[in-house]
Amino acid sequence: MADSSQLATSLRRGTLEFCVLAMVETEDGYGNEIVRRLGEEPGLAAGEGTIYPLLSRMRRSGWLESKWVESPSGPPRRYYGLTGSGRAALDHFRTEWVSFRQTVDRLVGTGEAG
Amino acid sequence: MKTRQNDVVTAYLHEVDQRLAGIPVLQRRELLADLAAHIAAEQAERNLSSEGEVIEVLERLGSPDVVAAAAHEEAGTRPEPPTASRRSVWPWVALAVGVLLVLVFCSSALFLSRDSGSSVEGPVIAPPPSVQPS
Repeated sequence: MADSSQLATSLRRGTLEFCVLAMVETEDGYGNEIVRRLGEEPGLAAGEGTIYPLLSRMRRSGWLESKWVESPSGPPRRYYGLTGSGRAALDHFRTEWVSFRQTVDRLVGTGEAG
Repeated sequence: MKTRQNDVVTAYLHEVDQRLAGIPVLQRRELLADLAAHIAAEQAERNLSSEGEVIEVLERLGSPDVVAAAAHEEAGTRPEPPTASRRSVWPWVALAVGVLLVLVFCSSALFLSRDSGSSVEGPVIAPPPSVQPS
């Protein structure tokens, strides 16, 4: 039990932030929306609330920018969007990830047959 | 009903906040504001009417421990041990203050008894015992 959640944590670390970047790549998203979508994916987030510190760190490191926008149906929403360096980081991750995944697949034997 | 919902939310935010000691104050405030905005938006947009529905929102956010642990990880700080160990300092402080008070009281009592002159209380300045051969 502890081992499997430890593995999920380790895999999440270093990849989750790029899932966030990809989610707001084409269109800004607001907190609840981002957090809900990540929460629906199995094994991605330990709790929706754990995404907010991540969003904060990504904003502080200059990958995301945020702004509060009035909402027609409730309190103001905080929208997040990609910055130039966020976009560059996402592009870089995509390249790295493909070769990393291929290497792991080859070594662990999880790749496509052949 | 509205106030009951808010009680649950206030308690949740307070419990998260208690676990954020050590995190820079602006990040701490930002997280609490983000969580409060998240809950308020869920309440408004999904028109939640019962306490149970609000608790469900809080459960999806994660326990205060889990949320605070994520905040510490992102901030590069260590979660402080729970308030119990912080509180355990206070008995020692109270004990030290108490001992100090007793000392001050005793020494002032000693001075007073000396000043009162004709002392019946011999043992304070007892004469050297003379050894008597039997």
